[in-house]
Amino acid sequence: METEVIESNILLPQHLSFKRVQLSEKYPKGQARGRHWKHLKQILQVENYQTYLPNEPNYVNIETPPSMYPSKKFCDITGSEAPYIDPRTNLRYANTDVFKRIRMLPNEYVQRYLALRNAAVVLK
Amino acid sequence: MAELLFETYGIPSVGMCSYSKFYLKLLVHHRHPVAFGVDAAFSYKYNQQLGICDKDGLAISAGLTTSHVIPFVSGEPVFESCCRTNVGGYHVTDYLKQLLSLKYPHHMSSITWEKAEDLKMEHCYVAQDYASEVRLFQKGDNEAEEKSICWQLPWIPPPTEAPPSEEEIARKAAIKEKQGQRLREMAAAKKSSRIMELETELQGLEFLLQQLEHVQESDIPSFLSETGYVSKQEIESAIVRVTQSLRKVKGEQVEMEEKTEPLTTEKYPLIDVPDNMLSPDQLKEKRRQLFLKTTSEGRQRAKQKRFEEELERERKNQQDEEKRLENPELYLEQLHAKHRELSEKVEQRKRLKTNGSRSNGNQNLSGGVGRGERLNAAQKERMRLLTTAAFDRGKGEDTFGAREEDWQLYKLMSKDNDDDDDGPDEDEAELARITSRLQDIDPLFVPKLDVIPVQAVTELPKFRPLTKEDFQIVLGVERIRCPEILFQPNMVGVDQAGLDEMVGVSIRRLPTKGNGLEERITSSILMTGGSCLFPGMAERLEVGIRMIRPFESPIRVVRASDPILDAWRGAAAYAAGAQFSVQTFSREDYYEKGEDWLRKYQLRVLQPMIVILLSNQSIRFS
Repeated sequence: METEVIESNILLPQHLSFKRVQLSEKYPKGQARGRHWKHLKQILQVENYQTYLPNEPNYVNIETPPSMYPSKKFCDITGSEAPYIDPRTNLRYANTDVFKRIRMLPNEYVQRYLALRNAAVVLK
Repeated sequence: MAELLFETYGIPSVGMCSYSKFYLKLLVHHRHPVAFGVDAAFSYKYNQQLGICDKDGLAISAGLTTSHVIPFVSGEPVFESCCRTNVGGYHVTDYLKQLLSLKYPHHMSSITWEKAEDLKMEHCYVAQDYASEVRLFQKGDNEAEEKSICWQLPWIPPPTEAPPSEEEIARKAAIKEKQGQRLREMAAAKKSSRIMELETELQGLEFLLQQLEHVQESDIPSFLSETGYVSKQEIESAIVRVTQSLRKVKGEQVEMEEKTEPLTTEKYPLIDVPDNMLSPDQLKEKRRQLFLKTTSEGRQRAKQKRFEEELERERKNQQDEEKRLENPELYLEQLHAKHRELSEKVEQRKRLKTNGSRSNGNQNLSGGVGRGERLNAAQKERMRLLTTAAFDRGKGEDTFGAREEDWQLYKLMSKDNDDDDDGPDEDEAELARITSRLQDIDPLFVPKLDVIPVQAVTELPKFRPLTKEDFQIVLGVERIRCPEILFQPNMVGVDQAGLDEMVGVSIRRLPTKGNGLEERITSSILMTGGSCLFPGMAERLEVGIRMIRPFESPIRVVRASDPILDAWRGAAAYAAGAQFSVQTFSREDYYEKGEDWLRKYQLRVLQPMIVILLSNQSIRFS
């Protein structure tokens, strides 16, 4: 985004007349401890869903269940249907051309492709 | 949520309708009541008022980070049967960005989030049948090309170098010539200065020598101590050296060898004098001279030998030449035969030396050899002899030594039997000679290389100048692949049902069924939220829902009048409505009963959703 836009305070004016306490008063600049955001998991934990009645809808129990259809396999590189899996990299591929490309890929890219469908190996 | 509203904004009252849930459509105005609720619900209500959808229906809200499906029965949302999938427009953009930057790693910096979002909004569409559409792209024919979008990055063609003009060439040549001239001049100046230097040195030395003649014998050392020379001879040799280098510099032929030849006796005057006539110093000198003489003689001999060899080779070549002139074809044939024979011989020797590993050459190349394989054939034979000798004990009568040949064994066993003889070397030399000769005579002859040529020489990609095509980003399958994750979330690793199946899930969850309710619901399906703006979304949803519903179910999918802003409009309409003041929850209530009361009252479902939304969207109001 252009710097002029940011500087001109069009996006987020510093003073919001409808607020009782302004953001800049609450979190003065240069203060060591700025505002901290709660993650979704933290919020969910605070909410204590176990205590709620199970038949009442809440954030946790309205989640969609997994699909009824068998999941289709798609080529990680080209996006077409993939009948094969490379045993070395675990990437799915559609045909020999893609396979050649997969074998040429550096490991970093392989991991990034896998991460796209949440299948990357995460070493901790 | 309520805390936030009351404390931070000082709002007099909050309006909650039964479909108020989470998307904060705040009608924030100082000291005004606000309404908050579910965006999908507000949007559905608004569109219902517009007559786009009926009072029984279904809202499909494809949001930023999540997608919801909420059924409506007689105008009220049924939260018990709504469902949520954690995939939204954010994921589509992210997927597109990642895919493009993986496809074009060189242009990763050009593919920013904003650009990806633009590309998504402009070019992505939902395929009616993803599999067949993708097959179309895979075939890569004209149709696919038409559907591919090409994004040309800014690219400036490199300046083409025009061939230099005559003038330019002449100018460059002149500059080169000038530089060469300057270098030559510098060299000449250096040379003349060196000559001057050497001449003055020579003059100085000669002057010193003349002076020395006037000085008495006994005074010589004291006289010379100032000059740094020890004896008259030394001065003389220095003069010789200087004259030689002077000649060299002047470019005259240095006839050092010839000059020194006759001087031998003068050079080594002490050699012929018997030892007992000399002082210890002179003895030392004599030994030195002797050494010098022998070495120089050795050098002479070697030179002689080389010369003779040269002559011999010359003679041989001449003979060959004669033979060749006599009968060229026969000669060539003979030469070839000889070459073959010799090369075989040499090869065989080599093979023997390297333990015959040429036959299974790959082992040799791989380098992984055990101890046994490192030994050559002769060493191996020796080891064999040693071991047999060691274990050949007490086997009948020991007759070792009875015959002469037995003693040959020791010779074989001895360590230095590695015949480093000249034979093969001669062979090799001969081979080299013949090879070179063949190369001279026979244009078809190709010398066999020792090294086994590596079979698969990977051809290095030739460097080519970057072209316009290298700065193009082509959106092909990505156009349909990215929005497809809304329908098949497991493409991005989210194990949940997609938008079309969510409708089925939602209908299944309805607490009251029958009386044609399902049919009524499916005949008024409203799409709202930014992600439903993809072209082809309605058609795809219809196809998907038709697959889940019974045969010939009425299905009608409509898009909200403005999918992005309708929720806000709905909330505004609600807040402006007459019933709003009755349904509010005032600040006094809040102070009196606290937040929990509010929660128990209606918002058990809703509360966390509000907070989550706020946390996701970097609250602007806190």
